[in-house]
Amino acid sequence: MPTALQPGFVLHRRPYSDSSLLLEIFTAEHGRLVLIARGVKGAKRTGAAQAALLQPFQPLWLSWSGRGEVKTLTRAEAAGRALALTDTRLYCGLYVNELLMRLWPRQEGSEPLFLAYQMILAALGREVVPEQSLRQFELSLLTAMGYELVLDRVVDGGIAVQPEEHYLLIPGQGLRRALAPGASSVSGETLHRLAQNAPLLEPRHRREAKRLLRQALAPHLGSKPLRSRELFRKPDN
Amino acid sequence: MSESNLLSELIDALRRLPGIGPRSAQRIAFYLLERDRDSGRRLAAIMAAAMDRIGRCNTCRTLTEASLCSICANPKRDQSLLCVVEHPADIVAIEQATDFSGGYFVLGGRLSPLDGIGPAELELGRLQGRLAAGGVRELILAISPTIEGSATSHYIAEMAAAQQVPVTRIAHGVPLGGELEYVDGGTLAHAFSGRQPV
Ligand SMILES: [Zn+2]
Repeated sequence: MPTALQPGFVLHRRPYSDSSLLLEIFTAEHGRLVLIARGVKGAKRTGAAQAALLQPFQPLWLSWSGRGEVKTLTRAEAAGRALALTDTRLYCGLYVNELLMRLWPRQEGSEPLFLAYQMILAALGREVVPEQSLRQFELSLLTAMGYELVLDRVVDGGIAVQPEEHYLLIPGQGLRRALAPGASSVSGETLHRLAQNAPLLEPRHRREAKRLLRQALAPHLGSKPLRSRELFRKPDN
Repeated sequence: MSESNLLSELIDALRRLPGIGPRSAQRIAFYLLERDRDSGRRLAAIMAAAMDRIGRCNTCRTLTEASLCSICANPKRDQSLLCVVEHPADIVAIEQATDFSGGYFVLGGRLSPLDGIGPAELELGRLQGRLAAGGVRELILAISPTIEGSATSHYIAEMAAAQQVPVTRIAHGVPLGGELEYVDGGTLAHAFSGRQPV
């Protein structure tokens, strides 16, 4: 029996045999899943239209069948307009998808994470590099993984973070007050803004927030860097 | 099964070819062995020679057995018009369908970070070098409009912009003879936003 239609997104797709696609999808209820979409490649008109639909950043209704780890797609319909990501937005979208592929386990549903994913895609539709939304997505991912980043208190003693102070992230533990601002410290002001999902107005807010989240994600990514980050680097001249 | 080892190895080897399933592989193997060993021997010899001798063009990276492919070696081709494609097969398609008379650059794929293919894997440094050497007055991107293709196009466009090389992209839209009603939403949106004065 196929499942009922579920909201979901394609995170990534690869060709699978001559006529099929292997899809990594992300849904609210079942999390990340692998589906085979059979007979969607090739010249047939209905197949080609399905293949065009089964793209990343296209909100979908999906149903599938099968018990194994790889399931078979039984139905796919558009659940809205595809997000036409261009330019750097596309790099950001690929970055978000790679984060989910790397850090979110298969077959584990999370409503809040799915909501966070929809929010970041919506933000990418509005802004070229939505720093504030990207950081909120990274925070949501850490929280869903069970590693919530506590932004308003320090580790030992639980003293509240002060806007005028500076802090360091101790991996696996939390924030500690820094004696002086340094290359890897983050200001209490930036932490407040992150905690309240307030705009990261100044370049220093964005820089500090980005570095903090990078430090927080690093232990989970291990020694394998995220490949989508390469796209943001300007090619050497 | 009591097949000899060589026979099952042959069937297995044929089965790895695109578009050939286990049944077709078996049919081809039996046909060659029973009815046409000459064709089989010829195929084997050409296959071995091709695998050994066909390499990549030094300039455009397409498949060729010379150091320079026939297009790059042709003085009548205008190499200041440079068309970027994903695969050598795309060159064949463009050569057959258009009267384009410029040069090409074959990427060998698209940027796909989730598959571990980055700028280094595509050897984009070579394209960068060709742009930096000067003499390109238009870079034409003929890359599939998939997510990875679009990312690749954008990356190359940024690279070209840094060298002040003008970039164009082939149009995407409704197939000729196609009916709007049957065109998928993404393609239609693309075609609509890329509308032109008539
Ligand atoms: Zn060549």
